[in-house]
Amino acid sequence: MAVAVTIPTNLWEEDSEAVITSWLISDGASVSKGQLIAEIMVEKVQHEVRAPAAGKISISQPAEAVVAKGAEIGSIA
Amino acid sequence: MAPPTLQAWSKTKANTKNWEELLTPTREQKFWMYRNMLVSRFHEEVIEQIYLEGKKPVFNMANGPIPGEMHLSNGQEPCAVGVCAHLKPADVVTSTHRPHHVAIAKGVNLNKMVAEIFGKKTGLSGGRGGHMHIFDADVNFACSGIIGQGMGPAVGAALSRKMQGKEGVAVAFIGEGAVNQGAFHEAMNLAAVWKLPFICIIEDNQWGISVAKSESTAVPDNSVRAQAYGIPGYQVRDNDTYEICRVAGEAIERARNGGGPSLIEIETYRLAGHFMGDAEGYRPAGELDGLRAKDPINVMRARLGSEEGLTDEQDEQIKAECRKLVDDAVQFARDSEYPAAEEAMEKVFV
Amino acid sequence: MNEQVATVAANERRLTIARAMAEAIALEMRTDPSVFVMGEDIAKLGGVFGNTRGLLEEFGSERIRDTPISETAFMGAAVGAASDGMRPVVELMFVDFFGVCFDAIYNCAAKNAYFSGGNVKVPMVLMTSTGGGYSDAGQHSQCLYGTFAHLPGMKVVTPSNAYDAKGLMTTAIRDDNPVIYMFHKGLQGMGWLGTEPGATVHVPEEAYEIPFGKAAVVRKGTDVTIVGVGMGVHHSLKAADKQAAQGVSAEVIDLRTLVPLDRDTVFNSVAKTGRLIVVDEDYKSYGVTGEIIATIAERDVSVLKASPQRVAYPDIPIPFTRPMEQFALPNPDKILVAYENLKRARTWRWL
Repeated sequence: MAVAVTIPTNLWEEDSEAVITSWLISDGASVSKGQLIAEIMVEKVQHEVRAPAAGKISISQPAEAVVAKGAEIGSIA
Repeated sequence: MAPPTLQAWSKTKANTKNWEELLTPTREQKFWMYRNMLVSRFHEEVIEQIYLEGKKPVFNMANGPIPGEMHLSNGQEPCAVGVCAHLKPADVVTSTHRPHHVAIAKGVNLNKMVAEIFGKKTGLSGGRGGHMHIFDADVNFACSGIIGQGMGPAVGAALSRKMQGKEGVAVAFIGEGAVNQGAFHEAMNLAAVWKLPFICIIEDNQWGISVAKSESTAVPDNSVRAQAYGIPGYQVRDNDTYEICRVAGEAIERARNGGGPSLIEIETYRLAGHFMGDAEGYRPAGELDGLRAKDPINVMRARLGSEEGLTDEQDEQIKAECRKLVDDAVQFARDSEYPAAEEAMEKVFV
Repeated sequence: MNEQVATVAANERRLTIARAMAEAIALEMRTDPSVFVMGEDIAKLGGVFGNTRGLLEEFGSERIRDTPISETAFMGAAVGAASDGMRPVVELMFVDFFGVCFDAIYNCAAKNAYFSGGNVKVPMVLMTSTGGGYSDAGQHSQCLYGTFAHLPGMKVVTPSNAYDAKGLMTTAIRDDNPVIYMFHKGLQGMGWLGTEPGATVHVPEEAYEIPFGKAAVVRKGTDVTIVGVGMGVHHSLKAADKQAAQGVSAEVIDLRTLVPLDRDTVFNSVAKTGRLIVVDEDYKSYGVTGEIIATIAERDVSVLKASPQRVAYPDIPIPFTRPMEQFALPNPDKILVAYENLKRARTWRWL
């Protein structure tokens, strides 16, 4: 069953949107649970996004996409 | 709260037997200092003679067996011996464009130092450094031709010892003119804020080439700047070898015991010009004669006579030994070969 | 021989240059207690450009030291510590700030080994940010590669991607000489000033070295050699892509290190293609572009089928306003224009 990769909701307080600044793996890559897979930025602060599960990742939002808290940016199957 | 003066600080240490001993030079220290002052002075006198070879009647700096610039330390010997009496080979010293007295007191290899001044391949750096860039890694001595440049590296050496948990203090010798360089301020603050085993010794010979201290520096006593860094500061007056030895001893011991940095200014005299060839027209008439009358070597000789019973005969013996060290070093330098010219391309990277 | 930039591996792990630098430093610090880091905002903040992220947490404040704003003091201190058995990695936040401490760098760090006949070593790494393009104006956007490469006694490295960044940092820390590690802000991976995605590439987890003095042929070709450094490499690759669509085959070389400089790889490529374009974001005159062209000209000018061209920053202070800054900066289209000029330039041969 596919696990969604979403923008964490507990990293910043306001409802500001984030930008995906870097994907640190390619579309279709194998990832392990907890692996650092992307960097996002809210205002000037960088945050990390880690894989919620192990498996093959499909990226649905590219680098430079603007995303809201909780938005899905990929899934792992 | 004002930082402690060295006297107040040493009062609190009165219980410790060490402190009383540090206040007066021991007999051994007195003779050690006297010998090093003599070697230093004989060295400067000989180097001066050789430097002038080939530069008469026309003084062209490029000519002669010792070309380039030359900055002699006649009169400033007390600064070197008073401080280095408390230092070990593992302690780090950086010095200035006027380095010879400090190098000798620090234990730099005399033969190799003179060979370096002559530019011979047997010199400390194979001739690549010369008189203003004397490096002796065996005794952790380095000097530089850039005013104030030795401050940062000495602070870094002190940092290194503290980080490695190794013994050792670092001493930076600078002139009173260097105090007005930004490098001085930055290094003093860094040493203080990181509480490093670092001592800054200001050799105040009153002149920055032709500019008197009173014209260049906003305060007559640079030791007051220590307050800006929250550290002890002290000014030694009148080139007193014993007082330098006392005060430096306290500062160095404080640093060794984790007490952090100190700043010491020493009022000393430059008996020769800023550099060889300096006509010194800027010095007031009679100033040099007055200073020669207070030659610190004569003062030391008199003290050893009255305190330690040094006789004229013993003194002649000591002087002969010191003169021989210098003469041997000069002979070694003269006998040594120049490096091959192509060797200039080597040692850029190790 | 010539190496390719690492491509996607089985267990892919991409890093930004910022992370790659921090990782290289951490790996060395784990095995060598003499390595430590000093600079402004490199401890708690992890570096304004992210290159010391995580180091304070792992190694503590004795070895990861925030300094006062005292470049002369801590550059000088790095020299003294390096001469006393430590291996400092010290940061000059912006290369543009070199003016306040250059004596300690070019006159002290770079020369002490020579002045002492090799008896005193200065094994320090000075890492510094370069480059603009995001309106940071004339005192925060310079590259100054030529300034540092020109003066003797210091090695100079300029990574264009994260794989090289980690390997070059490892080599730099292990080198017994002063190394100036010049990273480009626009390649760093810091979101707040935009980044070139091509710089974020797969980086192996283990420590590895990339030797100095070995340029990389990052794209093979036959019609023209395009030599780049730092961001210039990415401009060159994009230009090469566009040229391929027009049937032109460009060979792109990433110099990777300026001192020592791999003149052989450049010469061999130009001997093959006969045409040379050099791309550099540093000022044009008296710098990297002239040095590469002189390298070919003095060795054997007959290999050239056309006059070499250079795409570099003009000799002006960097302007603030966006239209002016973008006008001045090298970019892929300027490389294409240079190729047209190159074809049009009078050709000649030795008889």
